[in-house]
Amino acid sequence: MLNYAVQRLIQAIVAIFGVLTIVFVVMHLSGDPTLLLVPQDASAEMIAQLRHQLGFDRPIHIQYLDYLYGLTRLDFGISVVQRVPALDIVASRLPYTIQLAAGALLVAIGIGIPAGIIMATLRDTAIARILAAIVVTGQSVPTFLSAILLIFIFGVTLRWLPTSGAGELSAMIMPSIALGALSMSTFARMTRIAIIDELGKDYVRAGRARGLSLREIVFRHVLRNASIPVITIAALEIGNLLAGAVIIETVFAWPGIGQLAIQSIQSRDFLVVQVIVLLISFVYVLTSVAADLVYVVVDPRIRLVR
Amino acid sequence: MKTGLASIAAAVMMLMASTAVAQTKDTLTIDLPNDAATLDPHLQWNTDSYTVYRNIFDNLLTRDTSGKIVPQIATAWTYDNDTTLTFKIRDDVTFQDGSKLTADDVVFSINRIINPALKSPQLSQFDQIKTAQAVDATTVKVTTKSAYPALLAQLVKLSIVPKAYVEKVGDQEFNLKPLGSGPYKLVEWQKGIATNLEAYGNYWRGQPPFQKVVFRAVPDVSTRIADLKTGKADLIRDVPPDQASSLENDSGTKLLSGETERVGYLYINAEAGPTKDLRVRQAIAYAIDKQGLVDALLEGYGKAVDIVGAEPIFGYTADVKGYPYDPAKAAQLVKEAGAEGATVEFLTSPSYPRALVEAIQQMVNEAGLNVTISSSDQATFLKRRQGGADNAGGMAFGAWSCACQDADGIIFPLFRSGSIWAKYKNEKYDALVDEARTILDEQKRKALYAQAYEILREDVPGLGLYQVYALYGAAKNLQWTPTANEALFVMDMSWQQ
Repeated sequence: MLNYAVQRLIQAIVAIFGVLTIVFVVMHLSGDPTLLLVPQDASAEMIAQLRHQLGFDRPIHIQYLDYLYGLTRLDFGISVVQRVPALDIVASRLPYTIQLAAGALLVAIGIGIPAGIIMATLRDTAIARILAAIVVTGQSVPTFLSAILLIFIFGVTLRWLPTSGAGELSAMIMPSIALGALSMSTFARMTRIAIIDELGKDYVRAGRARGLSLREIVFRHVLRNASIPVITIAALEIGNLLAGAVIIETVFAWPGIGQLAIQSIQSRDFLVVQVIVLLISFVYVLTSVAADLVYVVVDPRIRLVR
Repeated sequence: MKTGLASIAAAVMMLMASTAVAQTKDTLTIDLPNDAATLDPHLQWNTDSYTVYRNIFDNLLTRDTSGKIVPQIATAWTYDNDTTLTFKIRDDVTFQDGSKLTADDVVFSINRIINPALKSPQLSQFDQIKTAQAVDATTVKVTTKSAYPALLAQLVKLSIVPKAYVEKVGDQEFNLKPLGSGPYKLVEWQKGIATNLEAYGNYWRGQPPFQKVVFRAVPDVSTRIADLKTGKADLIRDVPPDQASSLENDSGTKLLSGETERVGYLYINAEAGPTKDLRVRQAIAYAIDKQGLVDALLEGYGKAVDIVGAEPIFGYTADVKGYPYDPAKAAQLVKEAGAEGATVEFLTSPSYPRALVEAIQQMVNEAGLNVTISSSDQATFLKRRQGGADNAGGMAFGAWSCACQDADGIIFPLFRSGSIWAKYKNEKYDALVDEARTILDEQKRKALYAQAYEILREDVPGLGLYQVYALYGAAKNLQWTPTANEALFVMDMSWQQ
């Protein structure tokens, strides 16, 4: 187990390092922030001077090594756009994204899994059909559209919920639903398929033959066995939520790292982008490792193969 | 019993008084597309940043509603000679920590922004200044490298920062906790979220109109409009023309539009590709229906122009006539140049309205050219547009304002050979704009710019399309007149019940 964890950790570090390098190269090849910083009437000499002062006229490999050297000292650099340490900028926005992702995950799991169970066990009933319609809607409506629709209906027309911003708890409702909708559908479908799959197995028939009710079988045995694919999905969904947050945070003016990522890429604020990339790849890797480890706990039949 | 009645009456009156107070507007909320990048007024020069920090600071000079340069911290100024300007400074201004603003602070502010060590992106706006010196507590002498007529226009953009405070806390801390002499002081800067300001009670121009002002960062325009309609915001910036009517038709909101000094223009590459041929550039000028663009895409919120410049700028001339919309003539010129079907690359980025770019593409295609749109992100777009002529595309749309209301800030950087934007060289033109930026005689300067604009008309290295109107959405009760330089001073606003 320990060996396995170490092995996964090394893979993770290599993966993060690779992502970091690719992003560094791509960002630097497509221009630097100098042109975006200067007023439009700046002369070529002025631009060259500022570029030199900011260090963007150095060869890219030197800038890269310099950046890596900083990282070894846990120095993530100072944003040239905001003149504040890049780490501070990201750290101040991270809680908002965590809050939003938690809200969305709550929506996704809290609605998706029960919906999946109902759809699997009460097949061909009216309620299952209604749920199926909701799931398909959640899956097919693009988030930017559902977000605007939510704002229009519940914000502008009914005036039940605030239209943007963070702060009050009520401000979290619409972004969480808009962000969680897609994941909710994924959870519902996966749960439904996994349960239907399990329901066709011999142990279910044997249990029924012994007089157990469907409810007892589902809650005692089927759910546990069906949870493996659902856990895999959950791990992937956390990554998807972070990606979806980019759009949702922009529409709802939610001050998380998704919105920050967009702005920083647009303004070529390299150092802030790098911190965000580091963070997101870290989360991705961490959740997938965590999912692997949880399998073992849930299903002792899974043995780690070296 | 009598006293009892009296006290009840008093209580009722107090209650009424307190509700009357509650009815006046306490907090003004403004939605901007982005948060300020820096609050140090000597660092970032972008609209979202200066919209916030210029309410915290005073400027040396300012403009009145008609666009004239008028005193703010400076009360008067005289030219000692072509390169030396003496300013008299107010002596009744205090910073928000109570300390007095003196000539030393003005000198410090000028010398700070021109000091390369600050790495200020604004340096290019002030780099003609050689030095600033305090003569006495209320007199400052500014020396320029050569005669520089745009100096006053540039100093309109200079915020005065407190010397003692900046030196005490350092540049980084000053950016996070700025302190100025303006009408509002910083309460809290929630970076990326909102900036909370509070009225400065001892402000020298009087009590600011709102006790608190909140600038929120709301990137999506639909969300800004939703905020305004639900009362979450009282003023929003950057309303697209197609949303204007929805704000005018709503009972609680209104549209504020202001004619600006910003000009929508088309750059045409005169040094490379098919547009190197003058006839092709003229054909493009004949092919574009400016009034059609204004009517169809801007919903009338704009005004067609004949030159690359709008009326509020110094050097504007009505004598230079533009090319009329004449598609037949355009097609004929393309044919004469043998450029039928020639590919012209139209550079753009998401910062520019896509519908406008496509409409221009369509119009120019009808003249017989083959326009292809290359859209990239802003940084890449600028890299190509400002780079060598061979890779700078054939055309690009832009909306230019120097916030200095002077032709020098527009056609010098755009078309003077050697400038990063210019893909054009005409020695006669260069001599005219060079001279116009080094003499102070206003009539002479105007005459020079009239000649320069005439040359631009003939050579078409660019084409003025329309004067941009700034569109804001506001709560019905907010009283405010937008200005030509797109400044947003809360001090100029008021609330009417």
